[in-house]
Amino acid sequence: MDIKKTVIALAEAGGASGSEECAAELALSMLREYCPDAEIINGNVIGHFGAHKEGLPLLVLDAHIDQIGFVVTYITDEGFVKVGNIGGIDRRLLPAQPVVIHGKRDIKGVICSVPPHLTNGGSEVLEIEDAAIDTGMTKAELEEVIGAGDSITFDVKCRDLIGRRITGGALDDRCGVASILYALELLGDKPLAYNAAVIFSTQEEVGERGAKIGAFEVDPDIALAVDVSFAYAIGEDESKCGYLGKGPMIGVSPSLSREISDKLFTAAKNADIPCQTEVMSGLTSTNADRYSVNRCGAKACTVSIPLRNMHTPVEVIDLEDVELTAKLLAEFIREG
Amino acid sequence: MKELLKELCLADGVSGDESAVRELIISRIKDVCEYSVDNLGSIICFKKGKKAPAKKLMICAHMDEVGFIITYIRPDGTLSFGNVGGIDPSVVIGRQVKVGKEHISGVVGSTAVHNLSREQREKAPKTDSLYIDIGAADRAEAEKYVSLGDCAYFDSEFTELGGSRIKSKALDDRAGCAIMIELMHEELEYDTYFVFNVQEEIGLRGATASAYSVAPDYAIVLETTTAADIDGAAGAKKVCEVGRGPVVSFMDRHTIYDKELYRLAFDIAEEQSFPCQTKTMIAGGNDAGAVHISGRGVRTMAVSLPCRYLHSPSCVIDTADLENSYKLVKTLIGRIHEI
Repeated sequence: MDIKKTVIALAEAGGASGSEECAAELALSMLREYCPDAEIINGNVIGHFGAHKEGLPLLVLDAHIDQIGFVVTYITDEGFVKVGNIGGIDRRLLPAQPVVIHGKRDIKGVICSVPPHLTNGGSEVLEIEDAAIDTGMTKAELEEVIGAGDSITFDVKCRDLIGRRITGGALDDRCGVASILYALELLGDKPLAYNAAVIFSTQEEVGERGAKIGAFEVDPDIALAVDVSFAYAIGEDESKCGYLGKGPMIGVSPSLSREISDKLFTAAKNADIPCQTEVMSGLTSTNADRYSVNRCGAKACTVSIPLRNMHTPVEVIDLEDVELTAKLLAEFIREG
Repeated sequence: MKELLKELCLADGVSGDESAVRELIISRIKDVCEYSVDNLGSIICFKKGKKAPAKKLMICAHMDEVGFIITYIRPDGTLSFGNVGGIDPSVVIGRQVKVGKEHISGVVGSTAVHNLSREQREKAPKTDSLYIDIGAADRAEAEKYVSLGDCAYFDSEFTELGGSRIKSKALDDRAGCAIMIELMHEELEYDTYFVFNVQEEIGLRGATASAYSVAPDYAIVLETTTAADIDGAAGAKKVCEVGRGPVVSFMDRHTIYDKELYRLAFDIAEEQSFPCQTKTMIAGGNDAGAVHISGRGVRTMAVSLPCRYLHSPSCVIDTADLENSYKLVKTLIGRIHEI
């Protein structure tokens, strides 16, 4: 599997929370290579990996398949599309941002940018209620193809940066999906220390809702939430960030299983995989928060790929980290 | 004209660094006119018409676009930059850019929204807090790809919106350049000078020199101008509207336009039944500001395409306005000498 091609294909597929079909179908087709039983259950892509062995704990590898975006709320008489946000949006960077409305077909548009003479100097930031999309179409034309509830994502293609770094939208968390797929490839038919399942879960960005029902469906003993976390960049607090290119960030937190955190560090050490420590002081704001309290509880941990500019159309990752994350997951799961 | 416009918009030519655009334009006009490139880099073209007029007409558009210049490479490998031309930092943050002679990709980074204070989230960004990330690990790596003084450009798709609109960077003023190139391939009524100016965006610099060289009696400046007919804008605040025809101004911040030429434009539009509009706010400016006070003075008019989100990576125009501006200017070449 070509990691870069996989990440880019996934990142360029649309799938705002609640409208993940396009990205989920693509992820499903990729997952079936390794988990022939994979299917979409209530939105989540779920598959079991390897032969089931009686007596082994069940481990879930989770990555969320949704992304932040917008939803169509209204079409004005002049043909502007009014929106609500899906997930955490940085409103400072919305003016003149290109977007795609996912209606009966995809419609391209631009978020209206208010010129200075209409903003009294322009130091305030656009409210979501005041945002509107310009599609070049009339209200009547739009009503044929889009309607309230249709999802909207940033219109952005991935680009190569220096070295193995790339930029794009929705790398959060499609790079996590790709790293799980690559981990399965590395495992091949090696004997495993666990019964393993994969969940590419919906609606993480609006409160880890897909993981809640996915966890119930699969009922794991152990869950690894493979997501992204903050990579240090200008403007970030260095003490709260990992670094690009220095490997997966293993979570340590009161809400995570110390046993699993420790085992992950041991696995990294044994296989000589560089890794970083991400300390959180309570909940993790990842799907791990849902797995840990599913049914009668599970041992959960986070394995995060460092990412810059989170929730923007210019997220940046280092593919080296995606590869190292896959290696760590494979090392953790294989029979040691 | 759409294909030509696409090619022109996708070429990168920030003010003072227009060579790629200049070469492209020359390749399109070299067989249909006499031309020279002046000391600043503007292209001055002379196109023979059916008749030699008593007075000289110059039509001009600018070939430069707004963008960025790299001012510093930080120890962490990120790039500080200055704006070349007037750019709202809100349309810069969170964008893809291309940097330097090799056109490597970069992004204008933005602190994750999760980590911004409530106050920070509500405050529009300032240019000096922005930086370009090309993925370099440190300064030494960045220096392999970028030198101080290199320009950076918006990386933006040329996209059709709806049935008749176009979204792209640099429509300001490649749209004007496209109209001129098309006109130069036509048989024109009178001999006409066509000038593709440099450095408009940093203060009408190219036009100042080229207008002196050409020393015209009449000038038509082809431009784009802010259309603010967006959601929530009403009345005069719309300034002008996309799809409502070429914009002919009576006054902006640099120029009070020739009244007879102004009226002639509206007469032509009426006779030929295409829409034509004026700006409903006194705002902006263009090369006319330099041209009309060149030498002993030049009778000057501006024909602009209404353009939404000017100076952003996503400018929007209507192709009907492009066609109608073309018609208007073509007719003006025949009739301006009546005045």
